[in-house]
Amino acid sequence: MIVIHNRNVSNTIRFIVPFIIIPALTIIGSAAFSRKRHIIISLAIAVLSLLLFYAGFEKRSTGTRRMVIVAVMTALCFAGRFIPFLKPISALTIISGIYLGGEAGFLVGSVTAILSNFYFGQGPWTAFQMLAWGLIGMFAGLLADPLKRNRILLLVYGAAAGLAYSFIMDIWTVLWYAEGFKLNLYFSALATAVPYTASYVISNVLFLSLLAKPFGEKLERIHIKYGI
Amino acid sequence: MRSFSDINPLAAALYFFCVTGIAMFSSYPPVMALSLFGGVLFFIVRNGRSRAKSHLFFFILFMILLIANPLMSHNGVTVLFVMNDNPVTLEALLYGLNSAAMIVGVLYWFRSFTQIMTSDKLLYITGSLSPKLSLIISMALRFVPLFNKQSQKIKSSQTAMGLFKDDNIIDDIRARMRIFSILITWALENGITTADSMSARGYGCTRRSQFRRFRFHRSDVIFLIITAGLFALCCAALSCGSLEFTFYPAIKYSKPDLLGICGISAYSVLVLMPVIIETGVSLKWKYFMSKI
Amino acid sequence: MEILHVEDLSFTYSLCSSPALKNVSFSVRKGEFCVLCGATGSGKSTLLRLLKKELIPNGEISGKALFNGKPTAEISDIDSASKIGFVMQRPEQQIVTDKVWHELAFGLENLGVPASEAARRVAEMASYFGIGEWYDKDVSELSGGQKQMLNLAAILVMKPEILILDEPTAQLDPIAASDFIATLRKLNHDLGLTILIAEHRLEETVPICDKLLVIEKGVLIADAPPEAAISELKAHPEILCGMPAASKLYTELDGGSSCPLTVRQGREFIAAAFKNDIRELPDTDNTLSGDTALEFKGVFFRYSKNSQDVLKGLDLKINQGELFCILGGNGSGKTTTLNAAAGLIKPYCGSIKVFDKKLKDYRNRSLYRDCLAMLPQDVQTVFLRNTVREELEDSGTDVSALPYDITHLLDKHPYDLSGGEQQLVALAKVLAASPKLLLLDEPTKGMDAAAKLKISSILRDLRDNGVTIVVVTHDVEFAAECADRCAMFFGGQVVSVEKSKRFFSENNFYTTAVNRITRDFYSDIVTHDDAVKICRMNGRKEALP
Ligand SMILES: Nc1ncnc2c1ncn2[C@@H]1O[C@H](COP(=O)(O)OP(=O)(O)OP(=O)(O)O)[C@@H](O)[C@H]1O
Ligand SMILES: Nc1ncnc2c1ncn2[C@@H]1O[C@H](COP(=O)(O)OP(=O)(O)OP(=O)(O)O)[C@@H](O)[C@H]1O
Ligand SMILES: [Mg+2]
Ligand SMILES: [Mg+2]
Repeated sequence: MIVIHNRNVSNTIRFIVPFIIIPALTIIGSAAFSRKRHIIISLAIAVLSLLLFYAGFEKRSTGTRRMVIVAVMTALCFAGRFIPFLKPISALTIISGIYLGGEAGFLVGSVTAILSNFYFGQGPWTAFQMLAWGLIGMFAGLLADPLKRNRILLLVYGAAAGLAYSFIMDIWTVLWYAEGFKLNLYFSALATAVPYTASYVISNVLFLSLLAKPFGEKLERIHIKYGI
Repeated sequence: MRSFSDINPLAAALYFFCVTGIAMFSSYPPVMALSLFGGVLFFIVRNGRSRAKSHLFFFILFMILLIANPLMSHNGVTVLFVMNDNPVTLEALLYGLNSAAMIVGVLYWFRSFTQIMTSDKLLYITGSLSPKLSLIISMALRFVPLFNKQSQKIKSSQTAMGLFKDDNIIDDIRARMRIFSILITWALENGITTADSMSARGYGCTRRSQFRRFRFHRSDVIFLIITAGLFALCCAALSCGSLEFTFYPAIKYSKPDLLGICGISAYSVLVLMPVIIETGVSLKWKYFMSKI
Repeated sequence: MEILHVEDLSFTYSLCSSPALKNVSFSVRKGEFCVLCGATGSGKSTLLRLLKKELIPNGEISGKALFNGKPTAEISDIDSASKIGFVMQRPEQQIVTDKVWHELAFGLENLGVPASEAARRVAEMASYFGIGEWYDKDVSELSGGQKQMLNLAAILVMKPEILILDEPTAQLDPIAASDFIATLRKLNHDLGLTILIAEHRLEETVPICDKLLVIEKGVLIADAPPEAAISELKAHPEILCGMPAASKLYTELDGGSSCPLTVRQGREFIAAAFKNDIRELPDTDNTLSGDTALEFKGVFFRYSKNSQDVLKGLDLKINQGELFCILGGNGSGKTTTLNAAAGLIKPYCGSIKVFDKKLKDYRNRSLYRDCLAMLPQDVQTVFLRNTVREELEDSGTDVSALPYDITHLLDKHPYDLSGGEQQLVALAKVLAASPKLLLLDEPTKGMDAAAKLKISSILRDLRDNGVTIVVVTHDVEFAAECADRCAMFFGGQVVSVEKSKRFFSENNFYTTAVNRITRDFYSDIVTHDDAVKICRMNGRKEALP
């Protein structure tokens, strides 16, 4: 209604957001509020980039079947988040990215974040989580070919994604807690988060090594049978 | 008059973002206190005496956040005492208190927000932003219990057909893996069938209309206007530096001028609005009931 | 006027060598009620899907299908969605949203119908179908029959010109099924809606149809009004045996001028042609009173704490070496009973004994080792592998020893099989376990009559070898054919247990068409074979002067 139905509006957003609003926010933010909270600025940037993505997604014509498959993967991720300690979300996001394309990967990651946070606690970090998981899926989609071919590379990507996720979320923690970005706080946040980071990395590698092949086969079958 | 949870979801969402946005943006202690107070009060008004666990959790979190800052940051001029050769300062302690109040307050607001934004409202909001996204969300929400049910069904069918015949753990795990694997196949196939059924009924062929929607009533518009006005006042006060508060190196704040006082009052009204609405509604109900 | 015209249509699924349809040609005129029938896996669903462009499966098509003179692939999206209504084979899978009202409105939303008009159309349709009471419910709370009615209503709000249905009554109980068909007939009469329906349950559909299409192995072998089609089918006994009872009797007994279709016509035929001096067949059935194989005593069960009891003090005793059928309405608790017998759910009160041993005394899953096996209602839960071959190897089935032929399916994915084929493969898997007590939940749904006859002979052979068999079914013809005793399930209890002949001859609705035809002349006749026998014994009436 607001963004989408109007082609022009959505085009304008696609143009304005990356080229004007995001840089402007960054510059104004760092100049005017240098001593104040960077948090609002980073939050705004996260939300805007999500908005940008969804506006683009809305415009492209994605088949109904593909969209429902994305919903299926999202539901699986969502259900997977209830497993204690080991979380298959990133792994499943990566798999979706590889086999269904970067856009699907972004969607699965980001939608899972916002949906599952209705159970695990919604907060301002939701936007960051959406962005972090979404990007993990999107880059997996960009790197689809090498990742499909090389299993080791896939596991390395999984581990890297786990680390990156933890690093991104810690930046957010520090920004939220303190005025501005302080390196020593960041490091101590990283240090306290070591068990979590380890669990992300382990779950990613574990689930990728377990799930990548069977999921790949099943998605390929769907691809052949229904031509998605 | 309708209770707060019946307010148009878009208006409610905007309200929540205004309240939490100001709390996160400002660092003025009275604002933090107001946000924390309003958040807790609203949560209690909605949930009554239940949810003791949530309160306990938030209290512990509050204490941790409060203590963490002075232990890690040693800025500030008023040294309270020295621990492990590191000074613990009053400024850092107050700063921790301020941050803790902000974070816990925002968390309380989001708790209430999550309670109010049921899935149909979420779909309404996303539906008006992006119908496709809203479709994905609604499908995913429907699939989760469906998959759960199907996996139970597969498991019991297979048990009755003798899949778990041997009674050892390895066999058990292998069988479970197979069930999981077929569940995925089923989920994908079933998804395709659903998709076919949707496009067979014309999904995606033109712009969709909405059969049932949340309308903007007059009270929603009034609510929105009041919210926007109060929000603007707060923003004005914040951006003109009337609500300046610096912790480091020494505590320094501007004397509240007229704009500052207006800002604070505006924020307190903003924060208390849901509680006011809820009490108003329940009083009105009591009045109506007494006439029956 | 022709609404649908199909010419030389052939289709081969991708990755399949042989075509699923070969040169099919037929046409449907506006306002006609057409029935499509044929054996399982003959290509009915495939043919129907090819008529709606959104549902065309992946594969190679040749030939054409015209809707109102236009190739179906060239119709605009909106027209295709609104004018061709399609009700799919499984009711659950067609449902898209989670609320009944939303399901009804979904199609209209897609077409962009403004809210006020949509509200009117939905309200009208909800009243027509009596949906008002469950309008605000969750879809998951509906029974099978309600779901199917909802599917139909959700299609009809879009005002289709033609309604295509793929085995819509496969999972419905006899009463719900005839209600459903009566509704279709009413729609056809009241609104002049064109209907094309694929069915195995021909007893009620054939008499009311204008045209019968018969398909065999992908080839259309009959396309004519029902009487004519049936007489053309004399050379195809396996298809003929699915036709309405009256017409079967007529063909078997070499009747006179016109072929009867309905029960009433059948009755007139018998009355006119046969004497009724001998009213009963000699009693042949063996009375079993051996040991009990399965016993329920005062069993109570509910699915969750604050829901209602599904089993309310169930008492039931099944003897060893018996073939026992349980019939009853949708949602009455039959599946729940079987699950309880198999130890998959635990009743909160009462006891269940299998071979005189309490269920909980079967430790370490010894129950499922050679003692008991169950075919679940949802056959898709039976498959775990990627091909039928692996599936059968897993269970150790000897394909060549099966009485039916599934060799052509071995390399397919179980999910690519047609509904009836899935059922056959699942049954093969369960039989391989060679249990002493076999529980079957609707084993014949979606199967053609010939396959059902085969299944019932398999079951009787097993019974003769001492296996106890409990079958839950909606198919009264099948139950009459094979059961020793039958039970009626109602309100969480078994309300009557009777020898199968008595059972059916005392019922009005839960009984076979043969029984309804013959009950005025002979007593206790429930199956086709018995009816033929007693008619022959009595002999023909002298031709009237
Ligand atoms: N997706 C598919 N891929 C490959 N083969 C298929 C697929 N779907 C169906 N078939 C095959 O095509 C043939 C016709 O199937 P179809 O579903 O049309 O049968 P049907 O007449 O509807 O049977 P039923 O009465 O059991 O529903 C079957 O042999 C089936 O195995
Ligand atoms: N897993 C479940 N959770 C909650 N309720 C259930 C569940 N399964 C069945 N029910 C309810 O229990 C009742 C009996 O269901 P059951 O499946 O036993 O019926 P049925 O006689 O087998 O019907 P049908 O002929 O349609 O298969 C129904 O009202 C159904 O809604
Ligand atoms: Mg079929
Ligand atoms: Mg059942």
